[in-house]
Amino acid sequence: MSLGSRRAFACLVATAVIAIARPLHAHELGTTQVSAWLAADGRYEIRIVTDAIALLEKLRAAGGESRASDAGAMGLEKQMQDLDSVFRRRIEISFDGTPAAAAIAYSVAAAENGSAPIALVRLTGAIPSHARGLRWTYGWTFASYALTVRRDRAAEPVTQWLEGGQTSAEISLGAPPAPPGRLRTALRYAALGFTHILPGGLDHVLFVLGVYLLGRKVRVVLWQVSAFTVAHSFTLGLSMLGVLTVPPALVEPLIALSIAYVAIENLFVTGLTSRRIALVFAFGLLHGMGFAGALQELGLPRTEFLTALVAFNAGVEAGQVAVLAMAFLLVGLPWGSRAWYHRRVVVPASALIACVAVYWTFERVASTVAFTRTIAFIVGWSAQM
Amino acid sequence: MSHTRRRLACFFVLSILSAGSVAAHDMWIDPTTFLPQTGQIVGVRLRVGQDLLGDPIPRDPALIREFVVEDGEGRKPVIGRGGADPAGFVRASSSGLLVIGYHSNPATVELSGEKFTQYLKEEGLDAVLSSRARRGQTGAGARELFSRCAKSLVLSGPPAAGVSDRLLGFPLELLAERNPYALGDGEELPVRLTYGKAPLPAALIVAINRQNPAQKISARTAADGRVRLPLRQPGMWLIKAVHMVPAPDGSGADWESFWASLTFEIAAPQALALRVKVP
Repeated sequence: MSLGSRRAFACLVATAVIAIARPLHAHELGTTQVSAWLAADGRYEIRIVTDAIALLEKLRAAGGESRASDAGAMGLEKQMQDLDSVFRRRIEISFDGTPAAAAIAYSVAAAENGSAPIALVRLTGAIPSHARGLRWTYGWTFASYALTVRRDRAAEPVTQWLEGGQTSAEISLGAPPAPPGRLRTALRYAALGFTHILPGGLDHVLFVLGVYLLGRKVRVVLWQVSAFTVAHSFTLGLSMLGVLTVPPALVEPLIALSIAYVAIENLFVTGLTSRRIALVFAFGLLHGMGFAGALQELGLPRTEFLTALVAFNAGVEAGQVAVLAMAFLLVGLPWGSRAWYHRRVVVPASALIACVAVYWTFERVASTVAFTRTIAFIVGWSAQM
Repeated sequence: MSHTRRRLACFFVLSILSAGSVAAHDMWIDPTTFLPQTGQIVGVRLRVGQDLLGDPIPRDPALIREFVVEDGEGRKPVIGRGGADPAGFVRASSSGLLVIGYHSNPATVELSGEKFTQYLKEEGLDAVLSSRARRGQTGAGARELFSRCAKSLVLSGPPAAGVSDRLLGFPLELLAERNPYALGDGEELPVRLTYGKAPLPAALIVAINRQNPAQKISARTAADGRVRLPLRQPGMWLIKAVHMVPAPDGSGADWESFWASLTFEIAAPQALALRVKVP
């Protein structure tokens, strides 16, 4: 192997390694967007938003005309209308395999602030009665584009990624599935709340264990747990209603710190004080915001908002009760009354919880700082433009 | 130049915009102007399409591996805002040739056997065609990784014969071995194709003019990766080449292709003559 070809080989290997290591990107996305509305009154409207010059150039070339000259928005609109028969060649709306003829209206929004003029093409028509499915083909773009379909303007859109010229998967015209009932929603969100604690939320588990380890008496646990529950229900509700917004970057490290505090206090204090209850209440406010962050990621149904919120909170509660029950059965019941319980169980367990929580505090602060730095870098970089 | 002048047969091919073709589109850089004044800002538009009829590709940070401009002062990144068209902007800060390059991360496409074979024929990828035929895979569908290696030559100030295109180090790269803006009347443009920095022989090179895209000029590279293209018509030119190799193991694809393109303008003689007179 000569030096040159060895270098070429090394370069190829390097290229291949990078190619594998990089995430694969599926689409070379263009600027074209297609949205379809299938209205309940039996009419459809499909809107194509695309670069006006690029579309017109393709239409003119396919129609055997020379390239478009620079014309104003009105001129472009007129030229598109004149090429309507050409445009229809590469567009197809079909209901159950039968092509439909749509009415097509062309409009062009003038260029502004250096952006290119945008064409809006509206295709409208009636959905044949008893039609079950719609297929869509658009062949006037070479790039990938998104087709979004809505049953009516308020409904959630469904998106398909298509290549220019590719026929879409069949879009069902059947009635949309009925939303799940109140009971099913409640059960689903209660389960989500429970799994957010067990097995999903080790930090909350450690906090509850920290609370449990303070004292053997039922009164000690009950007071703390009640304070915690009232507090986290309060902030969870307020956050979900949008009344309270605290960034997770602030909440998450503080949650970790609250676990450390409770565990460290267990090392020095044995009895229940009103100060401890007040602190657990304050920490409950924090944890509630953490639960809200998790619930916001899951999303709440618009129709059963309150049901889902209450069910999620109840699920969280059940998860915490399960943690307490297990702690009681595995630790409290067999050894709770022994003289060495505090020395051999409470102290080492609390110390371990404290160590983990302190580590989490630093980790969460560090990731927040790294994130802030990245944002600052991006902002600074775009400001250089 | 020390190499022997080899004249290669160039073919003029007429093609019609093929309707509804799903894959195998060219990608090129379409600057807002090829002849900026010194100090002018040039929009770097990315286009994907066929016969120089293209759709805008807005800037997608996830697709960009390298997006650079090289002039007499060195190499700089082409800056821009995600999601915007033009995908980037460069400033013609000094007089001379600006070499703009866009190298994408690989994207994937899956094609039916029929479509894949048709595309291999269109792009002149004979080695892959015969490899598939030997293995009895001609009818089989294929999953392909493809990446873009697009370049554009923009001239600020008067053309100088001594200054020409430069290698940017893309996996597949077209290099204009003379400054296309300094070509004399009737002179051919020598172009070299490299793959992994080594010359790529027997590859199909196609040249397309914006005024007359149907009339393409095509030629195969010689053993040294060179072709000479008679680009008589003024206006924007796109030179393109595609190379395909078996996809690396573990990539989940069967083939990997590289799409090289080079755009520039052959200026009408009077346009550049005016520039030369400016002191």
